[in-house]
Amino acid sequence: MKRVAVIGLDCADPDLLEEFLPDLPTFRELVRSGTFSRLRSVDPPITVPAWMCMMTGKDPGELGVYGFRNRMDHSYEGLGVASSARFSAPAVWDELGRRGLRSILLGIPGTYPPKPVRGLLVSGPLTPSSEADYTYPASLKGKIARWVGDYMPDVRDFRTQDKAWLIKQVHSMTERRFALARKLVSKEAWDFFAMVEMGPDRIHHGLWAHHDPAHPKHDPQSPFRDALREYYRLLDEKLAELLSDLPGGTQVLVVSDHGAQRMEGGIGLNEWLIEEGYLALKEYPKKPTRMGELIRRGLVDWSRTVAWGEGGYYGRVFLNVQGREPQGIVPPERYEEVRAELAERLAAIPDEAGRPIGTRVFRPEELYRKVRGIPPDLIVYFGDLRWRSIGTVGWGRIHFHENDIGPDDANHAPYGIFIAYPKLDARKERSILEVKDLVLSVMSDG
Amino acid sequence: MGEEKRKVEIAGEIVRAIEEHLAELSAGSVEEYVEAVLRERLLSEGFLSPYSPEEEEEMERRLRDLGYLD
Repeated sequence: MKRVAVIGLDCADPDLLEEFLPDLPTFRELVRSGTFSRLRSVDPPITVPAWMCMMTGKDPGELGVYGFRNRMDHSYEGLGVASSARFSAPAVWDELGRRGLRSILLGIPGTYPPKPVRGLLVSGPLTPSSEADYTYPASLKGKIARWVGDYMPDVRDFRTQDKAWLIKQVHSMTERRFALARKLVSKEAWDFFAMVEMGPDRIHHGLWAHHDPAHPKHDPQSPFRDALREYYRLLDEKLAELLSDLPGGTQVLVVSDHGAQRMEGGIGLNEWLIEEGYLALKEYPKKPTRMGELIRRGLVDWSRTVAWGEGGYYGRVFLNVQGREPQGIVPPERYEEVRAELAERLAAIPDEAGRPIGTRVFRPEELYRKVRGIPPDLIVYFGDLRWRSIGTVGWGRIHFHENDIGPDDANHAPYGIFIAYPKLDARKERSILEVKDLVLSVMSDG
Repeated sequence: MGEEKRKVEIAGEIVRAIEEHLAELSAGSVEEYVEAVLRERLLSEGFLSPYSPEEEEEMERRLRDLGYLD
């Protein structure tokens, strides 16, 4: 039986990796003698649910998880953070466990609180803190503290202008996670190992403008212009160390859940809905206010509201449907007509100079094999994800060239990386949904 | 997660099976395994919350900071 090690790098981008490859001896060797292709993410290409889509082979609709926060019911306030309890489909490690095979899982988004596995589990970035019970078995936590000190599930206080501090935090998190990975693969028994390092995502969002000359905020004199390249060098070094600890003959997969691209601006989704008469407030806020806060304070006039939205890297639009939402006004028989009208109008929102930005709008049933849970009625990629969806209200405008919540340089892109070493069948492109079956097949054949 | 511990009685057959297979179950003790399995079951039924209200608030703040929400 062949062992498989999946080394996940959240947001590692195929184009950036190719650009940096001359500086990355380990990646270069893996790409040269292994298989390198682009890995198509799910829609939306977001950390949660993308990693669990990869590990279960199910799309977001099948999982019923459409993002980090999902509607739990049809109330206006019922949004909940996606915990491991939301993922009921068997993951690759569940199937391996049934075959008597042991897995070590480290930092995979969507695994907090930890579920029992045949093997070991250290939960991912939705772990509230290292004080929480973030391992299975619970006693593993003590070992981790002895091995590597305080476990860093994620970077704290990410939204900062202090880039030097941020870079230090991301490097420290990556070094600790790889140090822990090395301990786990060399000291514990395993057949399947999977880890996810969040550092690439955090460094891309925090510093993309410093690297990308086409970014509207790029400064060629920035002292941080090489921060991305230097971070990939760190990854390369850590990857080499980890590979040296893996038993000979291990099939290695280096993968990412999505890529990255420059963020050109933001569209005020709820501001636009207000301006166009789809969303009515009892009182327009005097300062920028989150939509959830307006709902909680009873400031939305639901009797005159057709739709409202949630912001983030992509937009989510919910229709206020009679008999579905508590104070719905869209008659069910007009649902498709209203949804089509909204989709068409959202797709046509131009930039402030009236130029098209290439927005794409999807209905969940077009994207997914099944639609479970409570999906958004529309999923919106402003500027094909080059523009963020701004959900807050109180700005008095719909176009932004700064994030509403502080500095952020990048948005997600639909293609991540796939490297197999040793070589597997070469393909130009793969789907994130194929990875689970690929792992099972390699482990059966080996 | 809560530190308070209370005693419950479980069929000896179950305890013996866990004890015999602790290594395969990856648990250090019967208590550790039973607690993990029950926690998972209660979470999946929605009878236990994955986060305390303070943790949920902190997670939402962190997700906003990271740009996933606003």
